[in-house]
Amino acid sequence: MTEMLLRAFEVTKRYGAFTALSGVSFDITKGEVVAVVGPNGAGKTTLVNTLSGLFLPDEGDVIFEGRSVKGLGPSALALRGLARSFQLVTVYPSFTVEEMIAVGAFARAGETFRLLKPAGVYRRERDEVREVAAAFGLAHRLTTPCASLSQGEKKLVDIASALTLRPRLILLDEPTSGISSADKDRIMETLLAAAERLGVESLVLVEHDMELIARYATRVVGLKAGSLVADMPPDAFFRDPEVIDTLVGKVPHNALG
Amino acid sequence: MKTTLAFLAVLAAFAAAPFALGPYYTTLIIPILAYAIALIGLNLLFGYGGLLSFGHAMFLAIGAYASAVMGAKLGVRSFEAQLIVAMLASGTVAGLIGLLCLRYTTIFFSMLTLAFGMIFHSFLFKFYDLTGGESGISVPRPSLFGASHAGLSKTAFLVGPFYWYALGLFAVMFLVMALVVASPFGLALKAARDNERKTAFLGVPVFWVRYVAFVLSGIYCAVGGAVLAVSIGAADPELSFWTQSGNMIFIIILGGLGQLFGPVVGAVSFTLLQDALMANTQYWRFALGAILALIIIFAPRGILGLITRALDWRRR
Amino acid sequence: MATVDLLFAALFNAAVLFLVTAGLQLIFGVQRIVNLTAGSLYALGAYFGASVFEWFSAQGGSPALLLPVLILSGLLAGQVGFVIERVLRTVYGRDEAFQLLMTFAFVLMFQDVLRYVWGAQPRLLGDLPSVYGTLAVGGFTFPVYNLLVMLSALVVAGLLYWLIERTSLGHVVRATAENGRMAEALGANTRRINTLVFVLGSMLGTVGGALVIPTTAASLEMPIALIVEAFAVVVIGGLGSIRGAFLGAIIVGVLRALSLTYFPELEVMSIYLVVIVVLVVRPYGLFGKAEA
Repeated sequence: MTEMLLRAFEVTKRYGAFTALSGVSFDITKGEVVAVVGPNGAGKTTLVNTLSGLFLPDEGDVIFEGRSVKGLGPSALALRGLARSFQLVTVYPSFTVEEMIAVGAFARAGETFRLLKPAGVYRRERDEVREVAAAFGLAHRLTTPCASLSQGEKKLVDIASALTLRPRLILLDEPTSGISSADKDRIMETLLAAAERLGVESLVLVEHDMELIARYATRVVGLKAGSLVADMPPDAFFRDPEVIDTLVGKVPHNALG
Repeated sequence: MKTTLAFLAVLAAFAAAPFALGPYYTTLIIPILAYAIALIGLNLLFGYGGLLSFGHAMFLAIGAYASAVMGAKLGVRSFEAQLIVAMLASGTVAGLIGLLCLRYTTIFFSMLTLAFGMIFHSFLFKFYDLTGGESGISVPRPSLFGASHAGLSKTAFLVGPFYWYALGLFAVMFLVMALVVASPFGLALKAARDNERKTAFLGVPVFWVRYVAFVLSGIYCAVGGAVLAVSIGAADPELSFWTQSGNMIFIIILGGLGQLFGPVVGAVSFTLLQDALMANTQYWRFALGAILALIIIFAPRGILGLITRALDWRRR
Repeated sequence: MATVDLLFAALFNAAVLFLVTAGLQLIFGVQRIVNLTAGSLYALGAYFGASVFEWFSAQGGSPALLLPVLILSGLLAGQVGFVIERVLRTVYGRDEAFQLLMTFAFVLMFQDVLRYVWGAQPRLLGDLPSVYGTLAVGGFTFPVYNLLVMLSALVVAGLLYWLIERTSLGHVVRATAENGRMAEALGANTRRINTLVFVLGSMLGTVGGALVIPTTAASLEMPIALIVEAFAVVVIGGLGSIRGAFLGAIIVGVLRALSLTYFPELEVMSIYLVVIVVLVVRPYGLFGKAEA
């Protein structure tokens, strides 16, 4: 029997008179890689923002591990095991890779408010940071300033920093945006392997690249104008020209291959 | 390692100062130590936390008035007791207004801290029974570790026991801050400065991290204010005016924002600069303003930034 | 009777405060810079206006031209905004803390420029408002000069509204305020708009200062003291909102007049207590927008 991790129940989110999400419901169970697709402005990022606790839904509820997490807020939700990344790569320009990844490790260990012990002497967290960095192939980069990394490495550090929270579920908002198409596969492989190694049970990806979806997703959720219009396995999704036409506009010629 | 060496060098320089300079210049150094202590705190908030307060002169004044009221009105001469009351009073006030001010960041935070600073300034004027109104309160000589040093002249007390006391206080406050900045807390504070949203999603309660930094900075300013009041012999309302807050920020920028030694380098250079300018022209404010503008444009990391850059260049 | 006089004094005060804070708001609204120099510009306008009018009188100019001469000299003094903006431009795009501090540097510099040019003694323009006489309405007498200043503030408010809401220039200014980079992409010359807005904002400050000189002495305390009130106005009204400046100026003007009459020591405190209450109830002021 599959275990339900996250449930969006009739989630509605409005900005003034504009309804960004209207009554969106779906479940995410353990072991899934769910791709969220839809045209620009369909509400994909709003969905991620609402599920991750950044926005309070106007109606409906968000249930994580069987309990409502509505109104819990980002940091508490992150500590409970629901992490996320942002569409724009976010690394701290003044930090080294090691420091950047350590922030979440300290938060998870409940040590954010330890004021008088230098961060460098925490052995357990240092090992944790190394393990996470190694999972992302960043072990040789620990002392590099984040600002001098390549775009792809920044992406990986960004996501690695969230995975030190050892989340059960992570929401990734366009993890491969801004990456050259040659590198996308490599980033995606690294990311999925690291997530599995670090105990992530399910992933939600907002993704435009149909080839990546065909290759990695186990389920596709389609949004259009704030409403859920598709929720099906990838092979069914790619065989349904009507759905493809609504959500993507054109059928990628080699996605079915 | 480098930090330890630099810290020892700074301490050695301050320790040598009374022997190398006469009593007059030594009395000038005590305010430097006082400002350095206060600004170490403000640097945590502004430099590491990215929150520009235009009201921290208030906490400087709270420290000064705590010392003055304890000594002059309540007859408590023990400087240790005065310091504890100063820290408690300032921590409490910071704890209350921090709840409100930290709902905002950026310019709105600056404006709100300025508003509270102005209220406090007018409070000092209004409640003259307690605060002495416009003229303030003169501060009687405190006792240090129970010793009253009654046999010493005013200058002998200041350049003797009180100088070493202030230096010791500075050393302790500096070391504590060095630990705070390097701690997981310091990391979280800097992370929130660089990207608030991302940091929240790393499980950091950003509001409370900033709150702790705000209260700590208030406590540091109060300790600096108490030392300052003894060295100038009075607590007066001008200490809390918004331009004073502006000067405090100026000194941090001058020394080097968000760098551990920034406040002490800034306090030394500012005092020397102001002293030299005032000796040579009555228009020293213009010169200070021009220097501030030049620093902002050409050396945003202050004097320390210039030194680091020069060293890097030589190494190359 | 006393109430009417009080209200009249409060509204005169509000009129001057509105002019200065409208300048602050315009600059913040478009450039996101809180201009601490507003107080210095106000003082500059006052000193400059006084000097110009003294010179004008010495040339045999008619005292009846007091108001136009002061307005013109205020507009002229405001051109110093070009210089400030030129320097400020070097920190556009940097952290806003640096922009704020840059204006603080100008406050320090202005302090000595004013002292150098006009000396440390306060400067008074004699009893000039009487040249316009008084107006008697139902048992009350009002100095006509003060009425004219209030009228001027209303005219400025109207002009600003028209400029921002009804002209194509205003359209570009609003677009720049919403999103500078986007406006630039749409072909707006943000550099020129920044200069224009800053100089316009400066002129509002200097005109406000020039208009107040027949009723108050110009002094070196002016810049610092005005900032205290001006900030209360903009925070109450909401940073960046001209309408907010209008309402905020009236609130602060009335509060100030009331407390000066009844609790003189509580002047600043009462104003800032209202500031705090407003911020607790409406975090971004009465007409302000949340940070983007």
